[in-house]
Amino acid sequence: MGDHDHTAPLPDVVLRVKTLESLLVEKKLVDPEALDALIDLYENQIGPKNGARVVARAWVDPEFKAWLLKDATGAVASFGFASDKGKTLVAVENTPKVHNLVVCTLCSCYPWATLGLPPVWYKSAPYRARAAKEPRSVLHEFGTELDDDVEIRIWDSNAEVRYFVLPERPEGTEGLSEEELVELVTRDAMLGVSKVSAPKGRDA
Amino acid sequence: MTVLKAKDVERVVKLSGSGRIEKDVPPKFKPGDRIVARNFESKGHTRLPRYVRGKRGVVERDHGVYVFPDTNALGGPQNPQHVYNVRFDFREIWGEDAEANAVLHIDLWDDYMEPAE
Repeated sequence: MGDHDHTAPLPDVVLRVKTLESLLVEKKLVDPEALDALIDLYENQIGPKNGARVVARAWVDPEFKAWLLKDATGAVASFGFASDKGKTLVAVENTPKVHNLVVCTLCSCYPWATLGLPPVWYKSAPYRARAAKEPRSVLHEFGTELDDDVEIRIWDSNAEVRYFVLPERPEGTEGLSEEELVELVTRDAMLGVSKVSAPKGRDA
Repeated sequence: MTVLKAKDVERVVKLSGSGRIEKDVPPKFKPGDRIVARNFESKGHTRLPRYVRGKRGVVERDHGVYVFPDTNALGGPQNPQHVYNVRFDFREIWGEDAEANAVLHIDLWDDYMEPAE
């Protein structure tokens, strides 16, 4: 608070949220401390770093990778993240011949516990409509080009299962530790809109 | 009315919000089965997207038993049934001009599918 411009009126959405929040607090329907705890949880404790740890582990530990691809719910639970919904998780593996892309065409279903808060574009109508219809164009706009012989698999998270992508480990990262690999894995790569890049100077 | 307290936040977000239930319901389909997604007009809630209605796909994986959203979301019966991952070719969904070499995977309940002839 206090960092916005006091001379300009607030955008409608912000104004509406602030009004609703103060009303709910005033009527004692919402405890402001619980609200702060929820925001802290999703901003600082649950985030894409969770998913990055899962991916890095799969890259260095073949047994864990096999478990993750067979039973992602169990494999991810072994990390003990502050999980949000107990949803069934499925990890889908990118290979040189298969590229996976995650979308929810019905709304914005997303693996919150593993990836944190969904990005705005993931919830936007254009992404939801186009990812399932023209994925190569969408990937191109994200700067991701695939050869024609790479099969694209779209995963519509329309029901009770939450999907995320196990990206390919970039070449030139053979000498990196699990902790160093965690730093390379991005949220976008775990949704399939981009690939994981090797750190600069380490390209094969 | 119960108001969420700060000390309960971590516990509450770990509660299962999944529609999965441990109930012994026989599956109507199995991996490898050819199916056609039903084509109906929902007057209430459904998780069957319009773009796959009437399209032919192949069952890939059985996810287990879940409540049926079309009845459960309206406060009606849970109607538990299997949910499957089903694969559709892009040409089946989008026609001849569909982007090449692409497939759709989507999750469908038993009642969203019929066996393909």
